[in-house]
Amino acid sequence: MVKRLGGWGLQTAAGLLAVSFVAFAIIALMPADPVAIAIRNWNLPATDETVAALRHGWGLDRPLPVRYVQWLSGFVQGDWGRSFRTGEPVRLEFMKRLPLSLFLGLSSLCLAIALALPLGFAAALKPGGIADRFSRLLSVFTQSTPAFATGLVLIWVLGAQLRWIRPFSNDGASLTLAVMLVALHSTAVLSRIYRQGLAAAMGQPWFITARAKGFSERRALWRHAHPSAFYAVLAAIHSEAGWVIGSAAAMEILFGLPGISQFLVQSISARDQMVLQAYVIVVALWMAIVGLVARLLSLRLEPRLS
Amino acid sequence: MRRALAPLLLLTLLFACGLWQPWDPDAVNVLARHAAPDIAHPLGTDHLGRDLLSRLMAGGFRTGIVILAVGLLGLTGGALLGTLAAVLGGWREKLILKASQLFIMVPTLIVALTAAAVFGLSPFSAGVALGLAAIGPLALFAHMLTKRVLCQPFIMAADAIGVSSGTMLFRHLLPNTLPTLLTYVGNQSGASAIAYASLAFIGLGADPSLPDWGGMLFEYRMFLFDNPMLIAWPALALGATVFVFNRTFDR
Repeated sequence: MVKRLGGWGLQTAAGLLAVSFVAFAIIALMPADPVAIAIRNWNLPATDETVAALRHGWGLDRPLPVRYVQWLSGFVQGDWGRSFRTGEPVRLEFMKRLPLSLFLGLSSLCLAIALALPLGFAAALKPGGIADRFSRLLSVFTQSTPAFATGLVLIWVLGAQLRWIRPFSNDGASLTLAVMLVALHSTAVLSRIYRQGLAAAMGQPWFITARAKGFSERRALWRHAHPSAFYAVLAAIHSEAGWVIGSAAAMEILFGLPGISQFLVQSISARDQMVLQAYVIVVALWMAIVGLVARLLSLRLEPRLS
Repeated sequence: MRRALAPLLLLTLLFACGLWQPWDPDAVNVLARHAAPDIAHPLGTDHLGRDLLSRLMAGGFRTGIVILAVGLLGLTGGALLGTLAAVLGGWREKLILKASQLFIMVPTLIVALTAAAVFGLSPFSAGVALGLAAIGPLALFAHMLTKRVLCQPFIMAADAIGVSSGTMLFRHLLPNTLPTLLTYVGNQSGASAIAYASLAFIGLGADPSLPDWGGMLFEYRMFLFDNPMLIAWPALALGATVFVFNRTFDR
């Protein structure tokens, strides 16, 4: 098992390296010149010396591979470069905002799993029942409306009609709403996958054996069908993690939450390459870590894999 | 292929919307701000007196471009690479699969977000970015599907009677994989309309006054209390479009 995980870790590290290089190359191709924008923003004299000094200070005068290697060695040591816009170290800016984004992503993912399991279970217990129909409706709904549009409607209902929340304010109510909205889509997807997994297990001979031994349907489902169905849920978590991070970005904009995506949007008008680069890496790391956790859990669930 | 009729009609409608609008979608008329719906402005006007219906139609055209680009790019690129990987085998299969797995390390929306940040957000750039990002998962899917068909007895039988590789590909392999792939692509391109709306909503320095459905939702969110219909129409248009795609290409 250690060997498998080691191999997987090596593969992920190689993947992250490749992603970081591709991102670095594409971001460096950016048509707009950050130096010109900085000179305009800071009202600097646009002399050749200023331009040269800025370019040198940001390392833009060196060839791309050299810059990449320098960036990479710095990144590993915790120096993520300096923001072109604020002049602050990018890592500090990220560390200030990361907890919020991480909280948003993690709690949505956990909430989605916590809601999807009972919903999917109830749906599998009684096909065509209320829970089954509700989860199907939910999945149709969440797939055709983006979370931020649902959020706008909710703000209208809760903020304008019922006056329960203060709209567009960065407070606990907004955060809760954001978590719920992001979780809604994943709940729908995961509950359908879970239900499908349970239904597939119910046709297996070992399930019928369990029933014949006198287990109730509910107990047999939980004891015997749940592990294999949960395995399918774990496999789907990786793609859901990607979805969560994307919807969380829209939520940060909608509710004005100061997370990393909001920071990215503020930085992009200054063509802040370092921030964009760090953002891509942080997202890739998030995907890798969620993938690792899901993999560890499924190894526990299915020892034959190791 | 009968069931693809509704999305095709919808796509045609969206493109037709780009050709003609009752008003110039960007024409500001401060005398007619927040006008109630009437015959001249069937859906009313926004805070700058721009005709909402015209803006919706222009936004539909832009969404249509994204859907089409993602569909075409994803289908050709993903199906081609995945099928090639399965048919060729060996190190080339490994290479294609590894490259595709690289694509799913960064979520589609984040790839498109980066592209929008670097090259600016337009229906074309977003369509290309989302389409390219869709190639990875689709190639993996196509590979899996093709592998499954390849170990069917009828392929072995065809191989045994010595059919040429072209016949094998177009007579025996693709007819079996293409319908499933098309369903997957249709579903993906419907979802790309949502991704594009999210990108426009997030903004990224793009001009928020452009008539994108997502951008309209962002721009009009401040008038949620005075004129909620400004939010309702773009949301409805987006939801209906994606719904048609999802229903048709339900997996």
